[in-house]
Amino acid sequence: MNKLKYYLLPIAVLAFFGSCKKEFLDKEPISTITPESYLRDESHLAAYAIAQYGVFPTHGQWDYGTFALDANTDNLAAFGYHSQYVPGELRTGQAGGAWDFSTIFKCNYFLNTVLPRWQNNEITGNATNINHYIGEMYFIRAYEYFSKVRDLGDFPIIKTILPDEINALTEASKRMPHAEVVRFIITDLDSAITLLQETAPDGKRNRIGKAAAQLFKSRVALYEATWLKYFKGTAFVPNGPDWPGAQKEYNKNYQFQAGSIDDEVNWLLDQAMDAAAAVADRIPLVENTGTLPQTASDPLNPYLVMFGDVDMSAYPEILLWRSYNRSLGISNNVPVAAAYSNDGNGLTRGYVESFVMANGLPIYAAGSGYAGDDYISDVRENRDGRLWLFLKEPGQVNLLFNTSQGTHKTPIEPTPNITATAATSKYRTGYAVRKGINYDGQQYDNGQSSTGCIVFRAVEAYLNYMEANYERHGALDGKAQQYWKAIRTRAKVDPDYAKTIAATDMNQEAENDWGAYSAGQLVDATLYNIRRERRCELLNEALRDLDLRRWRAKDQLMNTPYHIEGFKLWGPMKDWYSDLNYGTANGNVSDPARSEYLRPYEITGKETVYNGYSWAMAHYWQPIALQHFQITAQNGDLNTSPIYQNPGWPLGANLGALY
Amino acid sequence: MGNNHEPIADASIQVKRSNTGAFTNMAGEFTINALATDTLLISAVGFEMKEVAINGRSEINETLNVTNKQLNEVVVVGYGTQKKVNLTGAVSVVDAKTFESRPVQNAAQMLQGVAPGLNITQTAGSLEDRPSINIRGVGTIGQGSSGSPLVLIDGAEGDINTINPQDIESISVLKDAASSSIYGTRAPFGVILVTTKRGSKGRSQINYNNNLRNSSPVLLPKMMNALDFATYFNEASTNGGGGLVFAPERIERIKDYMAGTLKESVIIDPNNTDRWHEGYYGGNDNVDWYKALFRDNVFSHEHNISVSGGNNSVQYYVSGQYLKQDGLMQFNQDIFKRYTVTGRITGKINEWATIGYNARFAREDYSRPSKLTNTLFTDLARQGWPTLPLYDPNGYLFSSPSPALGLAEGGQDIRQNDWMYQQVHLTLEPIKNWKIHAMVNYRVRNNFRHWDALATYNHDVNGNPVIYDRESHVHEDAWRENYNNNSFYTEYARSFAAVHNVKFTGGMQTEYNRYRDLGVSRNGIILPGQPVIDLTTGTTSNGQPATPSVNGKYQEWTNLGYFGRINYDYDGRYLLELNLRRDAASRFREDKRWFWSPSVSAGWNIASEKFWNRYSDVVNIFKLRGSYGKLGNQNTTDLYPTYVVMPVGTSNGGWLVGGVRPNTANAPGLVSTLLTWESVRTWNVGVDLAFLSGRITTSFDYFTRYTDNMVGPAPELPVILGTAVPRTNNTFLKTYGFEWELGWNGKLKNGMALDARLVLSDAVSEVTDFPQNFTGSIDQYRKGQKLGEIWGYETIGIAKTQKEMDDHLATLPNGGQVALGPGAPGAGDIMYRDLNGDGKIDAGARTVANSGDLKIIGNNTPRYLIGFTLNANWKGFDFRAFFQGVLKRDVFMDSYYFWGASRSGLWWSAGLEEHKDYFRADENHTLGQNLDSYYPRPLFGSFADKNQQYQTRYLLDASYVRLKNLQLGYTLPARITNKVSVSKMRVYIAGENLVTFTNMTKLFDPETIVGGWGGNVYPLMKVMSAGVSVNF
Repeated sequence: MNKLKYYLLPIAVLAFFGSCKKEFLDKEPISTITPESYLRDESHLAAYAIAQYGVFPTHGQWDYGTFALDANTDNLAAFGYHSQYVPGELRTGQAGGAWDFSTIFKCNYFLNTVLPRWQNNEITGNATNINHYIGEMYFIRAYEYFSKVRDLGDFPIIKTILPDEINALTEASKRMPHAEVVRFIITDLDSAITLLQETAPDGKRNRIGKAAAQLFKSRVALYEATWLKYFKGTAFVPNGPDWPGAQKEYNKNYQFQAGSIDDEVNWLLDQAMDAAAAVADRIPLVENTGTLPQTASDPLNPYLVMFGDVDMSAYPEILLWRSYNRSLGISNNVPVAAAYSNDGNGLTRGYVESFVMANGLPIYAAGSGYAGDDYISDVRENRDGRLWLFLKEPGQVNLLFNTSQGTHKTPIEPTPNITATAATSKYRTGYAVRKGINYDGQQYDNGQSSTGCIVFRAVEAYLNYMEANYERHGALDGKAQQYWKAIRTRAKVDPDYAKTIAATDMNQEAENDWGAYSAGQLVDATLYNIRRERRCELLNEALRDLDLRRWRAKDQLMNTPYHIEGFKLWGPMKDWYSDLNYGTANGNVSDPARSEYLRPYEITGKETVYNGYSWAMAHYWQPIALQHFQITAQNGDLNTSPIYQNPGWPLGANLGALY
Repeated sequence: MGNNHEPIADASIQVKRSNTGAFTNMAGEFTINALATDTLLISAVGFEMKEVAINGRSEINETLNVTNKQLNEVVVVGYGTQKKVNLTGAVSVVDAKTFESRPVQNAAQMLQGVAPGLNITQTAGSLEDRPSINIRGVGTIGQGSSGSPLVLIDGAEGDINTINPQDIESISVLKDAASSSIYGTRAPFGVILVTTKRGSKGRSQINYNNNLRNSSPVLLPKMMNALDFATYFNEASTNGGGGLVFAPERIERIKDYMAGTLKESVIIDPNNTDRWHEGYYGGNDNVDWYKALFRDNVFSHEHNISVSGGNNSVQYYVSGQYLKQDGLMQFNQDIFKRYTVTGRITGKINEWATIGYNARFAREDYSRPSKLTNTLFTDLARQGWPTLPLYDPNGYLFSSPSPALGLAEGGQDIRQNDWMYQQVHLTLEPIKNWKIHAMVNYRVRNNFRHWDALATYNHDVNGNPVIYDRESHVHEDAWRENYNNNSFYTEYARSFAAVHNVKFTGGMQTEYNRYRDLGVSRNGIILPGQPVIDLTTGTTSNGQPATPSVNGKYQEWTNLGYFGRINYDYDGRYLLELNLRRDAASRFREDKRWFWSPSVSAGWNIASEKFWNRYSDVVNIFKLRGSYGKLGNQNTTDLYPTYVVMPVGTSNGGWLVGGVRPNTANAPGLVSTLLTWESVRTWNVGVDLAFLSGRITTSFDYFTRYTDNMVGPAPELPVILGTAVPRTNNTFLKTYGFEWELGWNGKLKNGMALDARLVLSDAVSEVTDFPQNFTGSIDQYRKGQKLGEIWGYETIGIAKTQKEMDDHLATLPNGGQVALGPGAPGAGDIMYRDLNGDGKIDAGARTVANSGDLKIIGNNTPRYLIGFTLNANWKGFDFRAFFQGVLKRDVFMDSYYFWGASRSGLWWSAGLEEHKDYFRADENHTLGQNLDSYYPRPLFGSFADKNQQYQTRYLLDASYVRLKNLQLGYTLPARITNKVSVSKMRVYIAGENLVTFTNMTKLFDPETIVGGWGGNVYPLMKVMSAGVSVNF
């Protein structure tokens, strides 16, 4: 009897576990959220949408931020040159590249999940805000799709979540003609414009609002319109000769939605004008006082300081901006770069010379009053108020407040250090700008600045309207004239643009400005001056390369390489330096025999652009990496893939452009 | 005396009735006071104990038999023990001797190289680093599931690193499926059974031992001096068409500083004259950052004490350990401490019931600089330019950034990990040979971690502090695990007709593991000396409120298993074992939860057959074994692998809204609906042999292990899917190899006892099927692939002249080497061989069908793992040497630590002493002409692509043999120590990692080559130690 209780113990335990096995073994996650229970409240939608804002290019922590994104164009020379100007050196990839759908997936997951719940009123929260956040996601999908059209042209249109099954995915990989993709983008933007509030719920324009969507719509429509117009008759437009899309059954009989390519262009230009006017008619430009503060008591010029302000919500012209706060670990280095060396980025001579005089005349025009370029101070004299304001001159003040703070401040603009060896101290061309400056010493700790970053600025809508209007009708309507004058008045340039047009010599402009060309031909003086206005107003604002591509303004480089130049080093300014060395592999400046202007990429002779920037047609778009063809092909025959390569690019890895 | 009439010295003679004892002298003679009716107990190491009745004799001559270890040795196996001679599975045993006097940190390190097939890899030397353990090589490729063995300490899952090595009695390594299938899906990749010491009947034993150590780094890379570095970097930059990195003016300063004529390590910033210039552009110091950051030698010590004993009804064992190890960090030294206390008591309740209670507590304290993270090893050489000032001219640490300031003043990271193991074990034996066991294990693990990040300061020209790292914060977190494991099992053994021996074992086991954690960080330390959450402001340095970051969660898993085993043998000759287990895991949903794990093994003791009698003098043991079994693997890394998780974040957004970080959410990943069990099948055949009365023993095992339906890499699908492809059970892996163990022991004429043991093992894994590699890509798993393959080009050599390169390129008319990267190749660049003869060098489509000029140039799987131990004993002296190594392994080190000037550009490059062997055509080069260089001409950025391809020339041989441990000890003669009531006293010196034989470049330690970042690690330590062990 005594022993029995010991036998009972294991038997009891066995019985116990035999009876409640299921309970013991059913363990569900208690600390994670399942998809079924999420995206059901306004706050969920807000959290999801804001997590996708990384699609916008903004300042990183260690450079000149978005102000350096015009590098590798005729505007701005980066510390190093770009292989896109060396045909053969820009290569096809093995894997990766722009053929990527991760952001699109995130947008589609959201829209596929939320829209049915929204239509059934299953989402809790403020209805207006719910609409707004859904609008944000439409906008982000459109924004992402536009970057695909820009980089790759034709692209699949995916609106749903695809199964992880190879046949379905291969089938979905069909590239739609870019005109069709742009139609899809505009549809999404129209949805966004309908749903978005005038003022986003945050109240500070840190989130997308209606005007930002309208501005972006005008950008997309103008992009596609000009692309179709200038690439018409090439493989770069649907149904063009040798258009690779025609090789595929599914694209063979493509029809533009407007009927023809010209009608499509006109439709797009109308869309661009409507959307641009919606912004330009209600958003005024920020005032330019025409002053450059040199002491702490001088009034700050809003048009100067808005690009580097900590709180940008005070400037209505800024439609969307990103806020930084070093204390939260979100910071940048833009003021440090703005005050010194622009992180190795320098304005080109060609760009500086495109700015007209304050009286509206090009510098070469008779009676312009141009003081020459022996010194940087001469270059600024009597010029377009924007050049005068933003081009830095040695001796000017860079710091006005809290001057004892900041580890990386540059209180007084030095003579440009063109022989420095590092990007963070090298004045690449001798010409540096102060866009993004902040006059407070607190913003000058390395990588620790809290100044904001502009994503959309309303003035672009003014410029988009002018260009679309002229491209559509060959003349400027009242609105376009009004906008142009507003821009020039703010820029402190004589608003009489007709005077500038009359004095413009296209052959002179062609020397400096790639935008003087489309498809290798000079454009007319009015269109050119519209483009010039855009170039000068959007100084270092990351739109130059996009513009040059849609204008097809690089073809001429194929016959006539372009030499990037900086300031006139071999004039009197050479006396600023004592350590100049040229003509050897260890040189630090270009040889005066090549040019009296500093040529930043023609110093040692080992540079692959030593003989100037060239171009290949294929470079207008990026190639698609080999892997994507392989995985969608049958039996290793890449031609069976529904994907086709972009014009001028070979089907392989690590290969240069064919033409 | 022994069998051969040789005298036995130091044999113990004891009167059975009392405590009176004596020892034999060198001639084997002894005297003892005893009654004529007494019985003497005679024992000596290596011999069987003997009881001798005096029967009135005054002179006693006795012969002792050499212990026949092979026949009587008992091995711990799953839920029981087994005579080694009757084992049918693949089991290796490690005895307590392995853990003596090793000046290392934990038991796992001591296990390296001692058991064939048990692979222990320590890939970094930092104090908290744990060696990784696998049995028989790669079991699963670690995509969502773990292939680590199950470690059981006295039957309960435990962490082998926390156990006091001196508490270990023995370790069994269960390698094949037949041995481990009784643990089912918890043990698909083998089991390590640790049995700890227990008290035994008889006199109380007290042991104290210690170990005092001096450690130094095994290998620290050496940096170039500042001038060589500047020359090298300038050349790398200008070779690619870039400008000088170091202007001539700065080169002059570097020269002057090195010559001692310039005292300042950095100049004043010309634009900001109260500040020192940024170090990268203004520094002219000459610092070897490895020397600056790591100490040459550090001290550590360890103390152990144990007390054991008992009588017929109660036995006890109590031990304690203290270990303090100092780390190598020069600034803010890292320190590791471990405390363990073990207590075990076993008592008889009555004739047929025994109860045992066992408690173990272990605590680890570890502190290090907050900035001693992986980033340090990523950045050390690329940021630590020799020219970068360590101290500014006023003598303050200077950062721009550099590693030293943050390490020294950036705060502390302090961890305390506690383990409390408790075990109650009730054994009933109601009928002779029928035992019932009930065992309850409970383990509580608490990990607390604190770190603080302090504001740091540089100093300006006048010595005033200038804030450098502005934000301070305190982080605290706690993690707790509650683990309960209950086992109930019974065993019954019976023999029939004297020859049929049957044993039955059966039972069940439950496991329940719960985790929770809690953490918080808050900004704004009020007083740097008191980094406590309560003493933080919650605001940032500019006074803005900062949301504290908090986290906390719960997780749990359970497992339920039923198991049974039948052992049968016929007269000890024919052996058979059958195992079956059925498991249910909470990690899978109800319909896929259960899994059967069956196994069978059999053996034939040929040496026990009658016909073998005539050979048995020479061959004492001759056994053939074979086994087969199948196990599931439930060790998924995710505890809830079948649930989709919505990724949400709290206040972690990078896009500020209203001045604060917003909450975020993202699209959930896809989870395959097909996810199910991985199953592991193992075939094993083995042979055990013993020759010459066990003087030579050997055993050999050959195995093949199939991992079926392994959760493999996600299939490559068109990227239009837009998200990561979910993992499924899509890979079939085969691992095969052998284990060989050879032992010898003997005695020399002069009385020196010697024994030697060699273990050798090998395992290779091969993908037998991966149906989802649709393109045949060589970057994906594919059928027939051996794991670890390295693809690369075949190098012809470095072109010494432009002409040599041009001649080479002339043989490649269809594209030369253009596809390898930009820039025209010339003198000092690599020439590759056109293997497919297509007139150009490229990688084709990187598929098996078209791999261009790539071929398999090597394999990074460590092959032929060897361990060799030599022991010698002579007149109280003992000597031990232990070598461990890997006899074959290739690695390709594609990091800037290997290349120096790298294709990732200036900021991802380094200049170490070995990189100086680069191509220099110039006869007047300041470093001398170097046409027969190892490295090509230096280039930064993509221009270096053409030289830094995977290729035969730079494939490194990571094989090595290392003298892991060398000991020399002396045991004082018992007749001396006895006088001070010490039964045994041993003094010793021991060394660890003393000598390494390898072909590896001095940049890397072959043992840690896959650790750290790009082969750059916290170095392993070379240790010299001394200690004493005293038994009372």
